Amino acid sequence: MSRIGVFVCHCGENISATVDVEKVAQAAAGFDDVVHSVDYKYMCSDPGQTLIKQAIKEHNLTGVVVAACSPRMHEPTFRKACAEAGLNGYMCEMTNLREHCSWVHDRTEETTEKAIDLVRMLVEKVKNNKPLEPILVPITKTALVIGGGIAGIQTSLDIANCGHKVILVEKEPSIGGHMSQLSETFPTLDCSQCILTPRMVEVAQHPNIELITYAELDSLEGYIGNFKAKIRKKAKSVDHSVCTGCGDCWGKCPSKKIPSEFNAGLGSRTAIYVPFPQAVPNKPVIDKSNCNYYQKGKCKICEKFCKPGAIRFDQEDEIVEAEVGAVVVTTGFDVVKPEFFPEYGYGKYKDVITGLQFERLASASGPTLGEIRRPSDEKVPEKVVFIACAGSRDPAKGINYCSKICCMYTAKHAMLYQHKVHTGKSFVFYMDIRAAGKNYDEFVRRAIEEDKVNYIRGRVSTVYEKDGKLIVKGADTLMNGEPIEIEADMVVLASAGISNPGSEELAQKLHVSYDRYKFFAEAHPKLKPVETNTAGIFLAGACQAPKDIPETVGMASGAASKVAALFSQPELKREPLIAVVNRQMPPVFSSCVGCFLCETACPYNAIGREEIKDRNGNVIKTLARVNEGLCQGCGTCVAFCRTKSIDIQGFSNEQMYSEVMALLND
Amino acid sequence: MDNVKKRAAELLKSEAVKVVIGYTMGTNGKPRAAFIQNAEDVDSLIFNAQCVQNLAVYLSKAEIKQLGKPAIVAPLNVLRAIIQLASEMQIQENELIVLGVSPDGELIDFQNFSAIEKYLEDFNMEVDAKEKETLEKISSMSLEERWKFWNEELAECFKCYACRAACPMCYCHKCAVEQNKPQWIPVAAHRLGNLEWHIMRAMHLAGRCVNCDACHEACPKGINLNFLTKLMLNDAQEEFGYTGVTLKEGNLLSTFKTNDQENFIQ
Repeated sequence: MSRIGVFVCHCGENISATVDVEKVAQAAAGFDDVVHSVDYKYMCSDPGQTLIKQAIKEHNLTGVVVAACSPRMHEPTFRKACAEAGLNGYMCEMTNLREHCSWVHDRTEETTEKAIDLVRMLVEKVKNNKPLEPILVPITKTALVIGGGIAGIQTSLDIANCGHKVILVEKEPSIGGHMSQLSETFPTLDCSQCILTPRMVEVAQHPNIELITYAELDSLEGYIGNFKAKIRKKAKSVDHSVCTGCGDCWGKCPSKKIPSEFNAGLGSRTAIYVPFPQAVPNKPVIDKSNCNYYQKGKCKICEKFCKPGAIRFDQEDEIVEAEVGAVVVTTGFDVVKPEFFPEYGYGKYKDVITGLQFERLASASGPTLGEIRRPSDEKVPEKVVFIACAGSRDPAKGINYCSKICCMYTAKHAMLYQHKVHTGKSFVFYMDIRAAGKNYDEFVRRAIEEDKVNYIRGRVSTVYEKDGKLIVKGADTLMNGEPIEIEADMVVLASAGISNPGSEELAQKLHVSYDRYKFFAEAHPKLKPVETNTAGIFLAGACQAPKDIPETVGMASGAASKVAALFSQPELKREPLIAVVNRQMPPVFSSCVGCFLCETACPYNAIGREEIKDRNGNVIKTLARVNEGLCQGCGTCVAFCRTKSIDIQGFSNEQMYSEVMALLND
Repeated sequence: MDNVKKRAAELLKSEAVKVVIGYTMGTNGKPRAAFIQNAEDVDSLIFNAQCVQNLAVYLSKAEIKQLGKPAIVAPLNVLRAIIQLASEMQIQENELIVLGVSPDGELIDFQNFSAIEKYLEDFNMEVDAKEKETLEKISSMSLEERWKFWNEELAECFKCYACRAACPMCYCHKCAVEQNKPQWIPVAAHRLGNLEWHIMRAMHLAGRCVNCDACHEACPKGINLNFLTKLMLNDAQEEFGYTGVTLKEGNLLSTFKTNDQENFIQ
């Protein structure tokens, strides 16, 4: 026989102003098996909890219903209180009289009636509750970081400095990411590479970090604390254990006209190459798609000139397996491609370039060694137009969001140009200036006031070439939309930041969700910004949305601290609200017939197979088995199971049925 | 059919199988299932257009399983059921010998299940044109008309569960209607109970039904309960490009393809 206690909370006036809480408590006292029912002003307060604890002891309660706020808010509080009084925490249920009743209705008789019904349902449910114990899962204390830009570098260093192992996987031949391509950084104008490269070297030398470059994630299986990753090491065609990085090979390589990715297409590289002089590791790979030997069958000049004999033309992709306890995704972003701007002539006119290309022009390690020379004829441009929001905040182009970093880097670009070309004139077309951040607005004001950059509020309608000049047509909306035409020598587009190609595929491999722009989705926009919906997988940097370096680094350290917190526990405690396959006496063993449709329906790969064997080891029956570490308790398998052989602990068929019937039979 | 008989006799003689499941003439001039355990009895095997019962239903029955390894006379509907059962892990290739039968009664040799799967590709599992017409008529009814139609159609049902016993896909040891903690589906053969049973049966066959009409053939009241599964099959083909049974794991309802239509989510 159940002995149920009902505790109705006023929540100050949040509930009691709308619901007649005393009447609810009185009505509940009359329900079958309810032996104690009270109301109180703040049930979650210390005296409120004491009320529950005392009642459990005095009335020998076997179940507790707290009629208060959302279980999301206080379920742990009340379960803990019950446990302290000796009642299994999972024998306590909450019904939500606040969000589900008082906050959404007026004070009427019906509102109180609804509150009584809500309590009635949970009383019936709790009678079918069973005591449950938390699930303990072991943790592999190694983290996998995917992407070696500044986010991945910072995350790896922070986790490694906590004493945990890190595997950092980078798809390019070198770590560094977009930050290594930048010239100077706002708002201090310090050199990007100068602050980044020491950290790149630190990664390579850290005893806790295993750096795997030129590699991609092939698959990820498992669950928080216990992932199994397969990493595809692409064939480098160079044995890095032998290579000294002397550079003889790329000096002799005859394929010299390959557009350099590092220089955003403004310079060229060879087929055997290191992306940039400060690369980590500073050893070359062969780009098979552009190598004479791989494409035409002969050449091998690099092999001839390689003194240590490190070239390996027969090297193949290799899959390495790793066991990791947590994953941090730091795959970064991309910028929109030329075909996005037919009206600005990008791709058509050589001197219409993206912000990233301007970074390379302004960089001391770039194709012009830091002099601003336009790509078409290498002349120093006398008039430069910068177009902000090129693609961003443009619903017509399908990008509604603000790319966030463009206002700042456009101001920086104009400033760098003015510093380098004293006689030059620069114009910035902008929609709004978004310079929120420490010293950010001051930076933009400096560009306008000290460096005399001409800011024009308005959009550019078209860019076309005429007599060797780029004619930029726009309007100044602060001058009543007066048309403006500028004869420019170069145009720089602050092109929109977009998600990386392949991010959707990666998200599916990782079982994490992503937004409509294919940026990875955080678990909660405010309170869980670095977590994903999949436990044990975290996010940092621009793979979640465009963001600047300080924000990326902050987020990276945040993700690292989440990983470190996870690794600091000896075992992982999980809520036992998971699916279980029923078991019965032999010879039936279970009503499960082993059709395994649940296995294909499970979004978390949590369903495996269990063989029941006799004494001689012969398989009698194969049943579905739910992996306790993987199951998230979503219930998809329960809906699927034709024989109703699967139940969610804490939300069993019986519990749900009695809850619904309590309402229908009333 | 002679080839089939010859092969059946060989299999029994060599003890490669213990029982041959096939068709024989019943007492009332209608074919029935035969379970032949002696090579001398193979002459009683028959095959004609009236042999419509889906013999695959016996493969998962405990009484037949205990006889030992079976061979099964398998026209198209049985072949489809075998593949679907295999995809649901209910039969293994090495536990069964399939004696394929062409529509005119000739033996077809199948080396393995993949060969059956390949053979089936040539036979579209479509609802035939006349049935399609009836289904369209039902689909075009107003909600009220359809509700009335089904209530009347199913009123005759007295829940003998012959449809379940005849269906090769209803192999669960304990059917959901017999689950009583809680009792989701009412036991009584009243209007609501009938409706719930038949809707549940159709849903449990979604993406699994092999369109053999065994359920309809078995119904003592001649209820067109296969219309429900056929409507479902029609939807599966039109909305999700379902072409028929395959060996791959999972079924239409439990898996998704990236190009699946999602226009029903609004």
